[in-house]
Formats: sequence, C-alpha cells, structure tokens
Amino acid sequence: MIFDPILDLFRGKAITIPPLDGAFCANAGLDEAPVLAELPVADNLCQAAGTVYASSGPGLYRLGEGGERERVEGFAVPITALAADADGTLAVALDDGTLIEGGTPLPLPKGISCITALAYGEDGSLWLANGSEQHPPSAWVADLMEKNASGSVWRRKAGGAFERMARGLAWPYGVLPRSGDMAIVSESWRHRLVRVDAGGSDPVVKHLPGYPARLSPAADGGVLLSIFAPRNRLIELVLQEKHYRYDMMIEVPREYWIAPTLSSGRSFLEPLQCGGIRTMGVHKAWAPSRSYGMVVRLDEHLAPVASLHSRANGRRHGTTSAIEADGRLLVASKGGNCILAPEGL
Amino acid sequence: MKLRERLQAWRYNLVPDHLIGEILTKRWTDNAIPFLALIITVATFGSIIPGFFQLYSLQESTRQLGEFSLVVIGLTVVMLGGGIDLAVGSIFALSAFSAVATFFILEQPVWVALLASLATGLAFGAVNGYLIGFLRLRAFITTLVTFIIGRALYDILIVAHGSKIQMSFVSSDTWDFIGDGTFLGISVPIWSAIVLAVVTHVALTRSRPGWHVLAVGGSRRSAHNAGIQVRLTVFFTYVFSGLCSALAGFLIATRLSGAGPGTGGGLEILALTAAVVGGNSLGGGRGSVVKGLMGAIIVLVLTNGLIRLGYGTGTNQMVLGILLAVAVTIDIRWLKNRHKVLNEVYVAPVYLRMGEPQSAVPGSGTPYALNNKLSEAEHIGLGELEGPEDVILDRNDNLYCGTRHGEIIRFFAPDYTRSEVFAHIGGFPLGLAFDADGNLITCVGAMGLYAISPDGKVTRLSAETARSWTSVNDDARLRDPNDLDIAQDGKIYFTDSTKRYDAHDWALDSIENRGTGRLLVYDPADGSTKTLLDGYRYTNGVCMAHDNKSLFFSESWRCRIHRYWLEGPKAGTAECVIKDMPGYTDNINRASDGTYWMAWLGMRTPSFDLSLRHPSMRKRMTRRLPQDEWLFPNINTGGVVKFDENFNIVRTMADLSGVSHPMVTSMREHKGELFIGGILNNRIGRFRIEGADPTWDANTAYWGTRT
Repeated sequence: MIFDPILDLFRGKAITIPPLDGAFCANAGLDEAPVLAELPVADNLCQAAGTVYASSGPGLYRLGEGGERERVEGFAVPITALAADADGTLAVALDDGTLIEGGTPLPLPKGISCITALAYGEDGSLWLANGSEQHPPSAWVADLMEKNASGSVWRRKAGGAFERMARGLAWPYGVLPRSGDMAIVSESWRHRLVRVDAGGSDPVVKHLPGYPARLSPAADGGVLLSIFAPRNRLIELVLQEKHYRYDMMIEVPREYWIAPTLSSGRSFLEPLQCGGIRTMGVHKAWAPSRSYGMVVRLDEHLAPVASLHSRANGRRHGTTSAIEADGRLLVASKGGNCILAPEGL
Repeated sequence: MKLRERLQAWRYNLVPDHLIGEILTKRWTDNAIPFLALIITVATFGSIIPGFFQLYSLQESTRQLGEFSLVVIGLTVVMLGGGIDLAVGSIFALSAFSAVATFFILEQPVWVALLASLATGLAFGAVNGYLIGFLRLRAFITTLVTFIIGRALYDILIVAHGSKIQMSFVSSDTWDFIGDGTFLGISVPIWSAIVLAVVTHVALTRSRPGWHVLAVGGSRRSAHNAGIQVRLTVFFTYVFSGLCSALAGFLIATRLSGAGPGTGGGLEILALTAAVVGGNSLGGGRGSVVKGLMGAIIVLVLTNGLIRLGYGTGTNQMVLGILLAVAVTIDIRWLKNRHKVLNEVYVAPVYLRMGEPQSAVPGSGTPYALNNKLSEAEHIGLGELEGPEDVILDRNDNLYCGTRHGEIIRFFAPDYTRSEVFAHIGGFPLGLAFDADGNLITCVGAMGLYAISPDGKVTRLSAETARSWTSVNDDARLRDPNDLDIAQDGKIYFTDSTKRYDAHDWALDSIENRGTGRLLVYDPADGSTKTLLDGYRYTNGVCMAHDNKSLFFSESWRCRIHRYWLEGPKAGTAECVIKDMPGYTDNINRASDGTYWMAWLGMRTPSFDLSLRHPSMRKRMTRRLPQDEWLFPNINTGGVVKFDENFNIVRTMADLSGVSHPMVTSMREHKGELFIGGILNNRIGRFRIEGADPTWDANTAYWGTRT
C-alpha cells in the first residue's frame, strides 16, 4: 500500500526470509536417513583414492564401507578443512591457520589464517577459502555477529604460489573449482553462492534459506550444497540491533547467543522463541530454530533441484559437508555427531 | 549503568506507551477522525468567513441543518443495515410537494399536510424496502431507479401545479410557526432532529430492533442463523429512511412555503457524503447516529462555507466528491488494518534489570542445580488431558485438574486410570483449592473465581473488583485469575496476574514485563472482592503459611516469592522473601514436613534477561516479527523447588529430557506422593517422594479431620 513507507517509520519494516519452498520444500529426509557412523563433531568429508576420510575435532578418520572408523591422525587443534588431489594426497587445514599437504606444513602468504574449505581443481590447482581476517574458523559465530566481510578465496596453480582470487567475502565456507579458472564459492553470511574467477566475484545463487557451508561435485555434473543453519527472523533482527548484539557478545556466553548454531535445544539457558514452545508434548517441526540440517542438490546450471532436511524437531543439524562417494551420498552432521548415508537425493 | 541504558530505563518506564494500545481497543476511537475533521472544518470556515457565527446566520444554517440531519439519520440507519438509499432526495422533494399541495391547493389543515408528507415517504420507503428486502434486488440499482422515477414524477407535478401553489392565499399560524418560529430559541427542524436523533440512538444501541439492524448489517448470514428476520429488518430500514426524508420534506415545505424545481436536488450525494464522512461504514454494521450527525455538520458547513466564499456549484460538487472518496478510503483501510495496528502497538515493553541468579546448571553445586529426577514420574491421563495447570486431591484421594477445554476432570483413586468430567466451566480453570466444606474453588482464566460443590454444581463467586482511578482498560474485571488459597476464616486470597493480556496470552506478558499483577481477597461473608496489592510482574501461585499468619505468593517474571502478612505487626504489608531465582516462579503449595513446594514454569536465559534491559529492541521485535518468532523466556524447562520456613532451598528437581514434564506449573503433595501439572502439558505426573509422610493430606492439614 502507498502509505507503507510512511507507516514503516513508526512500526518498522517487517523482517522476511526466503520460504522453504520449491526445491527447498521441507521433509524429514536426514532424520530418517541411516547412520553410517557415529562421530562426534563430524565435519569435513572427502574421498582420496577410493577411501572416505572424515574430520572430527582434532582427529582425522578413515571410514570403511560399513561405517567402521579408524583414526588416522590426531592434531593439537581441530581440523577445519580437508581435500584430496587426484593422486590421493590429503591437504588438511587446522584451526590455528596451518595447512598441511601430504604431511608437510606449507608456507602460507600473509592473510590466510582461517581456512574453512579446500578443494583441488581438475588441473591440479588448490583452492582455499579463508573465512575471515579477524577470527579462526572455530569463532565463526563471532564473525557473523560482528557482521564482518573480510573473507577471501585463494588459488595455488600446480607448482605455483597462492594468489588471492577474491576478497571482501562474508565468510566463504565452501569452494568448488569448475573447469577453466573459475570456482563456485558459498558465501555464508550473505546466504548466496558466488562465482570467483580472475575477474573477481559475482553472485550466482541468491536468497538461500539458510547459511551455506561446503560444496562438492555430484556425479551428474551438478553440485551438492550443505546448509548448516537456517535463516531465522529473530537472528536477522538481532543482526540489525547493534546495541543489543554488542551487549550480548560481551555479557552472554557464546553458546547461548541468539545466533545460528550447529545444534540447539540441549540446554535450558539457550534462547527460546515462541513457536518453539513444547505444547502438549509436541515440538513443532516448523518451529523457528537456531539450527537445522539441509543438503541441497543443484543441477549443472546451479539451479536447486532437491533437498534433504532435518527440521526443528530433528537432531541431525549442523550439516557442514556432503559428498558423493562411489555413487553413495554421505552427509556429515556436525551438530548431530554422526555421518549419514541417505538413500538418495 | 551506562548512560544509554539509564535513558532507556527512563524512556520506557516513565512514558506510558501502553496507553496507546489500550485507547485503540476502545470502540469510540472510530469517532476520533470524523470528530477531528469536524473541528477543523468548523474552525476553518469560522475563521475565514466573517460573521459565520452570528445569530441570524446560525438560525438559517441550523434550520437547514435540522432538515438535512433528519435525512442523514434515515440514511445512516439504512447503511447500518447494510444497504444504501439514493432515493432520499426524490422522497424529500415529493413529500415537500405533497405537503404544499395538500395545504395550498386542497386547503387542508397543517396536520393533514404532515400526514400526506409522511404517507408519501412511507409509500416510497415501502417500495424500496419491498424490492430490496423481500425481492432481494440490489440496493444501489433499486434506489437509483426509485430516485429517477421519483424525481421525474416530481418534475411533472411541479410543472403542472407549481403556479396554483404560488397563487394560493391559504395561510396558517401553525404553518408559519413551523417554518419560521423558534421554541426556547431553537427552531422546529433542530428540535425534530434532536428528538429523532436521541430516539434513534437509543433504539439502535439499547433496543432489540436496533440490534437487529446492526446484526443484519454486520453479517446477514449470521443474523439469519441467529434467528433474526433479515428481510423484514431490511424492509423497515428503508421505510424508516423514507419517513425521515418525508419529515424533512415537510419542514422545508413550511420553511419555503412552496416547492420549486430545485428542491431536494443533489441531496442524496450530500447525505451519502455526510453519512460516510461521519464514519459510518458503507459495508454496514458499523456506525452510529452521532457519526451521521457529525458528518451532516461537516458537509453542511463545508458547502455553505464554500458558497459564501463565492465558489460555484461545480467546485462544491468537486469538494464533496473528493471528501467522499477520502472518507471511503479511510473507512476501508481503517476497518481492514485497525487490528493490525493494534497488534503492532499493543505490546509496550518496559525496562528491567534482573538480579544475577544463582546457577541452575546440573553439577553447578548450588541448591538450585537441576537434575533429571522428574522424568521418573509415572503419568496419569497421558493423551486424554490437555493443560492441567493445577492439580488437587480430595479426602478420598481422587485427583482433580482443569483442562484447556474448560472442564474440571476427576480421576478416581487409587490408580487414576478412570476419569470423568466433574464440572464444565467454559473458561480455562487454573488454580484449585478445597474449602472447609469440601467445595472446590477455582480461578478460571479470563472469567473469575468459581466454586464447585461436591455434587458438581458451579457457582460464580467473583468476577470483578473495584476499578482503579487511572485505568484505561477496564481493570475491574478479572483478566487472568491464576491461583488461590483459603484462610482459616474462609476468606479466599487469589491472584490476577495481568491487566493487559487475556489468560491464553499469558506468555506475552513476559515480553512486555509491565507490573500489573494483583493480589485480591474474596470475602464469602458479604461476597465482596478487594484488591490488596497491585503492580507486581505477573502474580501467580498463592499458599497459606503453615501457621496461617501469612501467605506466600509468587511474582513470576521477577522470579520472586513474596510474603503477605495477614496478622501480626506487619499485617496488610508484603515483603520479598526469595528473590532472583534462576527460574520463573509459579504455584506454591504446602509440603508434609512443614516446608513448601514451588513450581518453576520456565528458566531464565541470559539472552532474555539481557533483552529486558533493551526495551526498544523488544518493541521492534514485536512490531517487525510475527509472534511465533519472538524471543521468550525458556518455558520448555521447568522444575520443582522446595523451600523451608527460613527460605533455604531444600531441594530442586526437573525433567531435563523435556519428554514428560518440560514445563511445571503446579505440584501437590498427597500421602507421600507428588502430583505434577503443567499448563502446556498433556499429562499429570505422579512421583513418589522418599521420606515423605505417607498419611499427610493437605485437606486435613488445612481443615482438620472430618468424619
């Protein structure tokens, strides 16, 4: 209505978020999916020379066909990203900013200290997403609540040195090299996917209904996108409320912030929204939630096609990584402490 | 405290924002816009036209106003009934003609002329009413047709007989008095308008036919379903409108002593504009005579003012048209958006800095540390019950609870698998207590204090208290009676949690956090209800101390327990005895060992406590987010706390799994077991207390043994 802009001055503009509709139509696919392995804070999955590796805190695990897990290596700090090149050499990034390739730490240029994703291109180049200049990967929530946009994407051509491909990104959290000198990067705090090449970055998929995490290729030429937390209107409000947000960051313990999280509902000190009240023994699946699980399949043109969900009443939240390994879909639920093997997507 | 926070505290605690919402809930705010328009119109023309308020000028204007008001009143009634009457102008003209023709040509007395006028109006009104009411033709088209036919008839008649009227020499003092004289300084048209307005107003607001008109206009189908004769009611609104126009026509006939080709021309547009500008809804059902009168004054002052300022008919019509368009737009937008505006502005949060609580985290080592003990409770009525806020047991060990369906359910001892509806009340029964005679007394949300006799007969004890002087919302009625307990002298002490929200919106009160909770007492001796304390943030549970010299009540949103002294040196005063708990306090009840049980309906969260210090953030939250997204206290985890006479915390229990008892609003000890209720739960818990007296019964503790 024509009076709305005037009335907005008094009542404020409604905060809206993209609906879970179309390809994002909600289901319980992740909650119904069989568990391949229980793994605390299961995070990044990758396949190297036919073997599936998963990171879990500071530990690197090898996963067997039936879900048997074997600890391959342990580090002093949590692993934040994994990737394997065509020969099966593993690159492992740690929370303190070190990058280890094939067992040897690599020298990194200044500015890389928060490695959130790694990926090898078909041409042997190594792509790296640096989430933020201010925080390590483990402090992602602080980076979001400070509304930073200091992330960058780097590339090392085979035999070359790291060069910066894009900067000013709001927490790049997934990187997927495509043919040519281009990669698709998920920009988490802006809820979108951007295309990064020598010319800089442009958005290709916008208005995602959640916070996107890792990207991985699917066998049919499409892309698997993990979404680790939902958009939530209260959180969007808090992001606009400067005074409340800064007071909250100072006075409230981080796990009880009004902010996205990998799992929720485990402590009575966490914030609760009206729709999340348990009524007559029921916690509504569509209740507003701070955590969520979602894996989306995009086609080769990056149009969303289908998705699997773990909704507000589910437990398989914080899905930070999904891969296709030998035709099988594997999903790491960092908040649900497990690796899932859904039937299909 | 930072300066910004201090300013926020002043801004939100001293400025009474909540009054805006309370005023908007009043129906009379609908009159505010037309009233403002009236003042502006009169003030504007009064100041730019010299002599506007002089006596002669007023006399002439008011005669015209009286006639015009009669027409508008008639049209208002038609519009209230959901119709529209465009034929008022032609009925007006024809009635005027009837009057002058009867008086001047047929040389009949004045009263016959009046009757002739009224008969004309009645006939035309009846035709309209029959076509629209009984044959159910469209009101707009039908009255347009009668308007055209009536106008044509009038034009034919006035051409044929106009000269005869001019030449007649008939005169009468009565006729002249009606047309020219005044009674007590006020002209006859104004007197008629006043009398008709009063009668119509009373009829519309206080009588069965008037209510029928409003009901039909509000919703034809509902009115029909309620047994109202819709067609007849519609018929009579047009007859009434016809009669009003006819009376006005008679009055103008006496004033002008004649009728010319222009009589009543354009009157329908003027009257319609007046009715709508006054704030009567075109959709029917909403409006009043007063609004019609306000509109009449606005329109008449405007048109006369414009004429006296030298503007022609074209400008006049243009202004009327624009006025009508604006009024219709405002009417529709207001009607559509009023409740939205109300929703957005009603919640008016205040500032509060809560005290730092002791931790309730399991293993924190404080007396409040929660455990998972209550998840061991057995369940009663699982899947059958919805919302047992409070639970109580009688001397025969039967268990009673309220449900959100408005019933009191009785579960039979000893296994509580069989149940019956003990009494149907209608509201949501919350707190329960047995009196000395075994009557069950209950606080019913949004209704009041009720008693249920042992044979299930329901009696209302109290539904109101004295209204406070400064209230805008009527705070005499009990909005959220929550819990009660009964003193040895039979007086019933109970809480009314909030004056701002209805019982089912109780959790919204936590967002606003305004202290409007009360402690009241009902005296069965004289049936009176008195307010003892006011201004607490959600008063909740009430429990008589074991020695009956004082009572405890909880203040939920401040997480406090207060003691109110009934006797002794501090009688009539309250003091806070436990403060800054980590959970929101609810019902309190006696325990067998001389201590007290208290329920926590939810737990404080650091993010919500912080939001209490940011009222502006909460206000924006309520305006910009749908209610389901609002930040709430964590009422998904509750607990049971036991405190002793010295207010030490003896024990704390909870169900941290959240499966059986996420929220606890009440608990009742009976013969060594604890029965647990929750307002949003679907079961009653039954929990064996180790070491409790297996014979202790609260009924005996309160009222002694009975044979």
